[in-house]
This record gives sequence, structure tokens and C-alpha cells, in this order.
Amino acid sequence: MLSAIIGVSTIIVFSAFSEAQLEQKIFVTHSGQVIQTSGDVLDPVYTASTVEFDPEKYLRDFNYGRISESESGQTIRDFTIIAEDDKIQEISPGIFYNVWTFNGTVPGPTIRATEGDLVRIHFINNGSKSHTMHFHGIHPAAMDGVFETVGPGGGQFTYEFEAGPVGVHPYHCHVMPLEEHISHGLYGVFIVDPKIARQQADEMVMVLNGFDTDFDAENNFYAANTIPFYYQHHPIQIKTNELIRIYVVNMVEFDPINNFHLHGNLFQYYPTGTALVPSTFTDMITLSQTERGIMEFQYKYPGKYLFHAHKVEFSEKGWVGIFLVDNPDQTSQTGIDYGN
Amino acid sequence: MEIKNYSKVKTIVSGIIPFGFLVIMILYLVGPSSNLLEFGVSLPDISIEKVEFVNSEIHVTVRNTGPIPVKIAMADVNDRIQPAAIEPDKSLERFETALVRIPFSWNKSEPYTIGITLDDGVRFDKFIQAATPAIKSDYQLAGFFAIIGTYVGVIPVMIGLLWLPFIKRIGKNKYNFFLALTVGLLIFLGIDAMLEGFEVSKENLSANFNGGLLIITITLLSFLGLYYSAEKLTSRTGLTASSKPFAIGLMIAIGIGLHNLGEGLAIGAAIGLGQVALSTFLIVGFALHNTTEGIAIASPLAKTKSPVSKIILLGLIAGAPAILGTWIGGFFYSPYTAIVFLSIGAGAIFQVALVILKWIYQSEQKLVQASIVSGIGAGMLIMYLTSILV
Repeated sequence: MLSAIIGVSTIIVFSAFSEAQLEQKIFVTHSGQVIQTSGDVLDPVYTASTVEFDPEKYLRDFNYGRISESESGQTIRDFTIIAEDDKIQEISPGIFYNVWTFNGTVPGPTIRATEGDLVRIHFINNGSKSHTMHFHGIHPAAMDGVFETVGPGGGQFTYEFEAGPVGVHPYHCHVMPLEEHISHGLYGVFIVDPKIARQQADEMVMVLNGFDTDFDAENNFYAANTIPFYYQHHPIQIKTNELIRIYVVNMVEFDPINNFHLHGNLFQYYPTGTALVPSTFTDMITLSQTERGIMEFQYKYPGKYLFHAHKVEFSEKGWVGIFLVDNPDQTSQTGIDYGN
Repeated sequence: MEIKNYSKVKTIVSGIIPFGFLVIMILYLVGPSSNLLEFGVSLPDISIEKVEFVNSEIHVTVRNTGPIPVKIAMADVNDRIQPAAIEPDKSLERFETALVRIPFSWNKSEPYTIGITLDDGVRFDKFIQAATPAIKSDYQLAGFFAIIGTYVGVIPVMIGLLWLPFIKRIGKNKYNFFLALTVGLLIFLGIDAMLEGFEVSKENLSANFNGGLLIITITLLSFLGLYYSAEKLTSRTGLTASSKPFAIGLMIAIGIGLHNLGEGLAIGAAIGLGQVALSTFLIVGFALHNTTEGIAIASPLAKTKSPVSKIILLGLIAGAPAILGTWIGGFFYSPYTAIVFLSIGAGAIFQVALVILKWIYQSEQKLVQASIVSGIGAGMLIMYLTSILV
């Protein structure tokens, strides 16, 4: 009898308790505390991202263009790039910002060619301002995208040049005021592969960028590939002993330098990717504006490894991520158990 | 009779008609022609009204003080993004408030800047000079506040009243000097209360609420209201010449009481908001400053025979509100109540100053004489010098 009473009352108490629990939302702080609230959660880290741009997809998305061959046997790669400047994009959960885009995203598509290929970019400006595409690399003056501004509302221009030199290069709009055009998002990555391909690897692109959402000439958000804290929330899955190659380009405006620090490992670094021999073996590189390079490494031990700006201000504003090495446990991707 | 009623209706209708047109105009502006008036950009605006440091959390009270509804999207501490909660929810209508809870293991007495970012990416921030643990409303703290209020309000006023026998013994000219001194003290206190109000308004109130105008309006209303009711009171009850000084003493006590309530609010709020560490020195300063308030009450009473109990009562009326003020300020601080109390106090004090001046004028038939002018000057100077200590 007594036990029955206890049992029933336990059920009553428990159900009342769990009902109260349902109304509460929880979130996890940077130091791993679990907090409950009856209100809304303001959290760029752990809320399911609804942002339009998908850093997961961008990471390993390479565009080789429409391929044809000239009479002389040269490979021709045709790309169509459309510039727009009226998009409002959710660049961090809950934060909306007017991004200026190449093909609708920040960064624009990663353009990839082999050294010596003929690259043809059919550029259409559907924006409300003049825009251009300025490629870092070797090309004729008329293809530099500086003095040949392309007018708004459907202006067109075809950039045509031979891909080179080998390496990783940025492209960006070069219309004045330049800082405004770049910081709004008109940039992307241009990779030139050597004729003898590099060693097979799990390749990815990381553009280190930031957004000044309140226009005070200081960035409010930083990220690898646009969305703050994205790869911390959705760790990048890689395998032990597999060669990882990262094409990293720093496009952060306003701050003179950015950097990249890898945990639990060191990497071979090829500045600008122009030499086929690494210049240094390190876990930390410092990059100024448009400075870039290729990183190569492999992980010996499975587990979770951070990578982030060791300018910690940037990492605390979003430029931080995790490599999940060989972890078959899918639940650990939710991020809730980060810090455990 | 009917004709009279008819004209009455006419009067009422003619009074209402303009209002009718006003309503029609507003409805038209808001409705059909609202597009016509939309030029310029409505910028969102929020005010961070209160920052409290509680057990491993920072609590931030934000209010939408802009012309349009806003959505709060992010919180940061020292410009570093922190996960946080917002209760009841992140959408704020005009003038609505919400509590942002930022889990953060803050360090005592370190400065912090709290930032709140809206959905359009605009960030608002507030600087806190030193993190101080938020106070919990318990009896111990209420007792602590009562002690502070007693030191700052009750005791100094009582000490000031001890000058009463001295003022009683002096000659007419010197007595007038002391009455004028009181006027000087009061004018200073009134201005002081208003300036204090302006400061509160500037630091904690959004410009939308027109804090400055609010202070001036309430001060004037309090002045006029008290002046009117005091006149009515003294004329209706037909107070005798001997009871009039006591009435004036009472008015001064009430005015100063309101002022001390405001002062208590400021002290309580300062402790509550962790803006200052209340040092013994600061208490001593307030105490010295407020001793002069006792003199202000004593002067008009000097030439009458008032029982000691009544004088003590006046002292309590003037001093005890400081205790109440520290409670309100410490436990339920809001910039609005602070401003309202300070302004009512200022109005009351100006009213009393005017009554004393009128009183001196009635007995002397002129105000421009050495004892009075020097009295007012000396009163203001004493207040200024003692205020430096605060």
C-alpha cells in the first residue's frame, strides 16, 4: 500500500517536473555549463544553423568550368560569374547583413584550373553598382579588372588569361571604395594546379573572412568560410593517416593580420602554393590581407582537434573550428558535448 | 432651465469638436496617408538600462527605445561573443524590456563592457566600471541600508537642529542672516537635486524619454502644487503668527525629506548597481553636507516655543526618508523613480525657499540688506564646500 502511494506520487511529481522541463530550453556555454531558460536562446554556436550559405558544401566544392579544347590542344575552361549586391543573408544565426556576392555566395565559387589552361570568365554584373573581377596572378593589363569597370544592371566583360602561376590565389572586385566592395563579400579563391598533379589528398578551401555589420570599420564576426563558429558546431570529418590539403586565403579587412593555428599537429606550409617544396613545418601561420598558402598534414591519433585564430579575439568572434578525426560516433557532431 | 442646459451642451460640444478633428487627422495619417510620410530611415535603438552581476551570470535589462520593433540576436562580454538567454523572448516591441542572461564567470571589481547586437548587426554596449555582486534583498542588507540612511540622513539633521538654542539667543539681524542662510542652502539643494536628476537621465535613460523636460516639468508641478496647497492650508486653518514658523519648519522638513529620499535613492542605487564602493569618507561627506539641513529647519523655529518632541519629529521627517530611499534605490532601482523623486524634492525645496523669503519680506519689508544677501551667499558657499566632500 505504502509503496503504491509512493509510486503514484512519484509519477505525479515526475510528470509535473518533466512538463516544466518541456517549457525550458537549454544551451551550453563555452565552458561547458548547461543553462536552462524559459525564454529564447541567443547562441551563434549551438543552435541549429538555418543560414543560407552552407560552409559544409563550400569546403570541398571546386569548380573546373565548362571544359573544351582549342585547335592547338590547349584546355579551355569557361566560367560564368554573376555579381549581385542586394542580397540580405543570415551571416550568423539571427544576424542579417547585406552581402555582395559572386554567384550568390560569400565567398564566391572556387575556380580551379591547371597551369597553362585558358581561363575564360564570362562576368555579368547584375548589381546596382559597378563591379569587376580582379585575379591575383599573371595576366595582361587589360585582364586585371581594375580600370575596366563593368557597369551595373547587366554590364558584361570576359576575362581571358592563361592560368598561372601554380598556387592558390584570391580574386576580388576592384572597384573603389575597395574596402567596401571587399568587406561586403566580393571575393573568392582561384587555384592553379601544377601540370603534374599534387599527391592525392582530402582537399579543402578555407577563406578566412569577417563582417563589419555595424559599419564602424571593425569586424563584428570572424570565420573560416563566412559562418562564425560553423565548423565548431559541425566538425570537419577526416581520417587518420590521410593527407589533408587546405587552401587557405586570408580575406579579412580592417585588421592587419590574421592567423591559423592547428591543434595536436604540425603542417607543411607552402606560402602562396607557388613552390612544390614546403617552406616550413609549423602549427601556426600569420597572414596579412590576401596572403595565402597551402597546408598539408595528417593526423596520427583519432579525436577532436581545434583549429582557430591564435589571435584569440577572432576565435571568440567565430573563427574557430574542429577536425573530427576518425570518430564513428555520429552523435558527437551535435556540438552539445563540446568541451566535455 | 432648459435653455441653460442647452447652452451647457453647446459648450461641451464646442469643446469636443476640435478633439474630434484631431482624432480624424491622426487616423488619416496612420491609415490612408501613412505612405506619404515615410521618408528617411527608421533606425532601431535599444537602451541597456541595468547590468547585474549575479552568481556566475551577468543579467542585462534592455529596453527597446527606438521607433520600431527590434529583435535581439546576440550578446557579448568585452566584445567577445557569448551564448546567452533572453527572457521572455527576443522580439521587443516599442518600450518593451527583456532580461538577457549571459552565463559568465566574471571577476569581482573588474571593468566589463556588455554588448547587445540586433538582428541587423548593429551593436549597442554599456560600460560597467567594476563588477560588484548584485545584492539580494534580505533583512541583513536592509539593516545595512538603514544604518547608512541613518548616518547620512537622520543623525546629521538632528545634529543640525542642535544649533536651535544658539539661533534663539542671537539678535534680529543675525537671525535674519540665518534665515537667509537657510534660503541659500535650499536653493543650492534644489539645483543640486535637479542636476543629479539630469545626470541620472543622461546615464540611464534613453533620449526618447526626454529626461530633461521630465525633470523640469515635475519640479515645476511639485513647486506649484505645494505652493498652492500650502497657501490654502495656512489661510483656511487661520494659523496664528506663532504657528506659522512651525508650518514653515514642517514644509522645510518635508522638502528636505524628499531631497534626502532622492539622495538615499542615489546611494542605494550606486551600491545596488555596483557603480561605487561606498567608502566611509563618502558617508562622512554626506553627513557633513546634510548637517546644514538641520540648520535650515531650525532657523524659522528659533523665535517660537516648540516642544522638543515636535522638533525631533521635524528632524525625522527630514532625515528618515534617506533610509527609505536607500531601500528603494538598492532593491528596486529604476531611473524613472529616481528622477521623479529628485524632481519632486527640487520643487518642494524651491517652494520652501520662496516661502521663507516671503516671510522675511513680511517682517522686514525689504530683502536687499547685508544680513540677507550675505546669508544667502554664505548658505550656497557652505553647501558648495561641503559638497566637494561627497
